[in-house]
Formats: sequence, C-alpha cells, structure tokens
Amino acid sequence: MQGKKYIMGLFKDEDQVVSTLAALKETAYQFQRVHSPIPSHKIMATLDLKKSKVGYFTLVGGVLGLISGFALAIYCSTQWSLIVSGKPIISLIPFFIVGFEFTILFAVFGNVIGLLTQTRLPRFKGLAHYDPRCSGEHFGVLAACEPM
Amino acid sequence: MPQLTYASIDQTVLDTLSPAKKYYWAIVAVLLLGVLVGAACWIYQIFVGIGVGGQNNPVAWGTYLINFVFWVGIAHSGTLISAILHLFRAGWRNPIARAAETMTVFAVCIAGLFPFIHLGRVWQVYYMLPLPNQRLLWPNFLSPLMFDVIAISTYLTVSTLFWYTGLLPDLAAVRDRSQGTRKKIFNFLSMGWTGAHDQWRHYTRGYLFFAALATPLVISVHSVVSWDFALGITPGWHTTIFAPYFVAGAIHSGLAMVLTLMIPMRKIFKYEKIITNDVLENVAKTILFTGLIVGFAYATEFFIAWYSHNIVEMESFRWRAMGDYRLEFFIMVVCNTILPLLFLFKNIRRTIPLLFGISLFVNLGMWYERFVIIIGGVAHGFSPHAWGLYRPTGIEYGILIGSFCLFFSLFLLFAKHLPSVSITEMKETLEHGGSHAG
Repeated sequence: MQGKKYIMGLFKDEDQVVSTLAALKETAYQFQRVHSPIPSHKIMATLDLKKSKVGYFTLVGGVLGLISGFALAIYCSTQWSLIVSGKPIISLIPFFIVGFEFTILFAVFGNVIGLLTQTRLPRFKGLAHYDPRCSGEHFGVLAACEPM
Repeated sequence: MPQLTYASIDQTVLDTLSPAKKYYWAIVAVLLLGVLVGAACWIYQIFVGIGVGGQNNPVAWGTYLINFVFWVGIAHSGTLISAILHLFRAGWRNPIARAAETMTVFAVCIAGLFPFIHLGRVWQVYYMLPLPNQRLLWPNFLSPLMFDVIAISTYLTVSTLFWYTGLLPDLAAVRDRSQGTRKKIFNFLSMGWTGAHDQWRHYTRGYLFFAALATPLVISVHSVVSWDFALGITPGWHTTIFAPYFVAGAIHSGLAMVLTLMIPMRKIFKYEKIITNDVLENVAKTILFTGLIVGFAYATEFFIAWYSHNIVEMESFRWRAMGDYRLEFFIMVVCNTILPLLFLFKNIRRTIPLLFGISLFVNLGMWYERFVIIIGGVAHGFSPHAWGLYRPTGIEYGILIGSFCLFFSLFLLFAKHLPSVSITEMKETLEHGGSHAG
C-alpha cells in the first residue's frame, strides 16, 4: 500500500455506513475496511462477504477430540486389563462420555485456533490508520486512492 | 432503552474502572483474610490428616463434596445465560452475561479445589492423570469419578476461553480510552483487536460455535456430577432422574447467585439503566421455573420410593423427611421450592430487596439440598448396623468460609479491573436487540 493516500470517514449510524459503502463503489476511491464497535449485519451484507472458515477448524478439532477421547480410554483400559463391575475391558458406552467431553474440548481448541488464524490475532502493533473512536461510538470507513 | 447511547454505555462501564476507594480495598482485605482462614484450615488438615474433618464410616463424603457440587452448580447459570440464552437470542441476558460468565469461571475454579481438599493426600492427585508410570497403573475410565475429572477440566477450559473471547472487543474499547501503563496492559490483553469487518465476520461465527459447544457441555457436566452418586447403588442416590434433577438444581442455584451478585453491583456501579428491573424480573421468572422443576424432582423421588415397594428406598426417604436431618430437609424444601413461588407475584419480582433476600435463601437452600442428598444417602444405607451420622467440624466450616471469601474477592477484583458489563453486547442490544448473531 506504499504511496497510497488514505481517508477514513467516521459515522455514528450504521445505516449511513451502508449508504457510504454503496456510494464509494461509484468513486475512484478503493474501499479498504470498516471498523465498528459492534458486529453489523447490515454492513456485512453490503460488503457481500464470504462465510467464515472458522467452522472447519472447529469441525476438525471435534473429530480429533472424539477419536482422542475414545483412544485414550481404550489405551488406558488395555494397559490395565482388570474387569471392573463385570464390564468388558473395552466398554464403549462409558467411554462415550470421555469421547464426548474430548469432542467438545478439542472442538473449542479448534475454534480458538480458527479465530486466531482467521482474524490474524494477536497483532499487538495494531493496524495502520485505525482510529480509536471506532471502538466507542463511531463506525469508520477506510478508503484509499492513488496519489495525484 | 431510549435513554442509553453508545457513549453513555462506554462512560458508565469505564467509570467502574476508575481507581478504587479505600473501603473497596478494605472489603477485599477482609475477604482475603477469610481466604487465609480457609487456606490455614486446609494446611492444618494436610499436616494432621483428613480425620480433622467430620467424615467417618459410613459418611465418607462430607462438606468437601457438598461444596464441590454446590460450586459446580453455581457455575452453570453463567453458561445458561452466556450460551443457551444467546442461542435463543434472548436480548435481556446481555447486561448480565459478562458478570455471569465470570461467576462461572471463578465458581468452577473453586469447585475444582474441593476434590483436591477431599483427597487428603493431595500430592497424589497425579494418580488421576493418564501418565506412563512405574506403578503401571492407569485411570479407570469406567469410573464416574474419572468422568468428573474430564468433565470439570473441560468445563473450566471451555468456560474460560468463552469468557475471554467475549471480553476481547471490550478490552480493546478500554485500551482505546486509556493512557500509559494501563493502555499497554489492555493492548496486550486485547491482542490488537480493531473491530475490522473481517475480524467481526470470523468472530461472530466463532462465538456462535462457542455457544453451541458450551450448551451440551454444561448439561453434560452436571449430569456427570450427578452420576458420581447415581451410578452407585446407595439408596437415595441410585435413580435415573438425577441428571436432569441436578442440571435444573444447578441452574436454580446459579441464577440465585446471579441475583445475589448483580443487585449490589447494580447499586454500587450505578448500572440501573443497563441492568434494568426488567432484566432482574426475567431472572426471577427463570428461578421460578427452575424452582418448579426442582420441586417436581423432590416429589418424584418420594413417589419413586413409594411406587418401587423397595423397603430400603422407602425407609431412606422416610428418614430423609423425618429423620435426623429433617431440619436440613425442611430448609431445602422451603428455600428451594416454596420461597421462589413468591416470584409468581409481579410486585415481588420488581421489589429489589425482596429479590435479593429470596436469592440468599435459595443459595442457602441449594447448599442444604446437596447436604441432604450426599450425607443422607450414605448415612442411612442398606444395613441398620452401618447407619451413622455426620456433622461438619470447625476445619470444614473454615474451608467453606474460605471458599466463599475466595469467590467474592475474585469477583470484586474482576468488577473493578475489567468491564463487568459487556460493552459490545449492550451496544448491540440498542441496535438489534440481540447479541453477536453469527
């Protein structure tokens, strides 16, 4: 983005942002991003964004968790082959509880990894041209244009 | 909420983070003293032995496990409010969601301490971990106690991550209105969140998945806790209704604790415009609903005992209502099922001192519910020659007081140093009436 000039419009109303985004398409300015204090469906719909991929991370985590939970319970039981309460060494019904809890745990780990990688956090230095008012009561629309 | 604006929400919440006055630190110091009392009692028990508690033969499970179940129960309403009501798009949960989630995290941490305390030889806790070892011993995953280890540690991890994820945009809001060291700290904590549209796009999906995963988890956790009892053959414990009964009871006690915490916080932080009477009334209505479920469960237990024609079960429940612990049983029934019926009246639901008072009674009643179930089961089992009684000792009361002081001191520290109301979700309530809809 070297050499480009940036301008940010600050608005207090998300409807104004939506109309600005529509109007921006008709100009020579290149839309960069919108900062907002809340997740705005109107803005997201206007930008016509693709569906987030976080869910795939969550799904992979969940599947790995289910396998890991059962694997752990089965491994431990086979290492200590003692029949307890007349149940088989590998008892799938009680092990389902371990599998279930691990599914949730690993799905959440996957979800967190998905969130961090997709939102590109942590980024302690922040973003260039960010205005702190955008976490308060303003919506900020950032646009760029080529220098004259 | 016509009187609220984005700016007024920011201002109200940020005002709560202003430097604390002396009396705040005095209260924290008193609570920390209580924590020291609890810690001293535990240390004494470690040096002298588990016999300093009142546990005996046959009542080997005493207050430590009562406290464990009580604190896990307290935790549950936080997840109900943050996850389940989020999925139902109940906008009224937004003002209290943050504080309730925080309550969940602290309550699970404290609950997690009690199995350690109950172990006696706490240094042997690693026996429960599936680690290769010289003893060639491995955890038995057929045991409900091992289910519990997995469920509680999963719950603590998930609720902490869920809480922190919800906090992220608010930490950025505080960062952007801070200077100096505080700005640096909040910049680190907020991980550089900027609220860019692409971040929100992923965040709303991720938050939705969090809620969708936390919902079955919370139900499973207290079901697993109930199976610690129900999978045993002890009379009074061995019943299939325990899982739903425990989950309803957990939410009942947790919602009462929400009122106990929210009402003073609302007054002190001048949150009246945010945590409105309508919000508190909705919590009261939910307590009324869970109280009816709990009351139905109490009655069902007696019905099952009578209908089974099992003389041991029948004796167990006769003794529960008319035996040595009839006072505890009476406290349980009155506080958990009869007093919440007062919430049928709208003027009681909207009278703050009454809401607060009833919430305290429900907390008390739910502690006694666990007393009646846990102690009552093992004290009066199959063989009359093995019947026995139990009373907590001073050491156990010391640890109980320490746990309450730890909970309240952690909550006080949180309320003064982090946004105790979700700024983002309150703004969303103004805009959409919902929250983080993915």
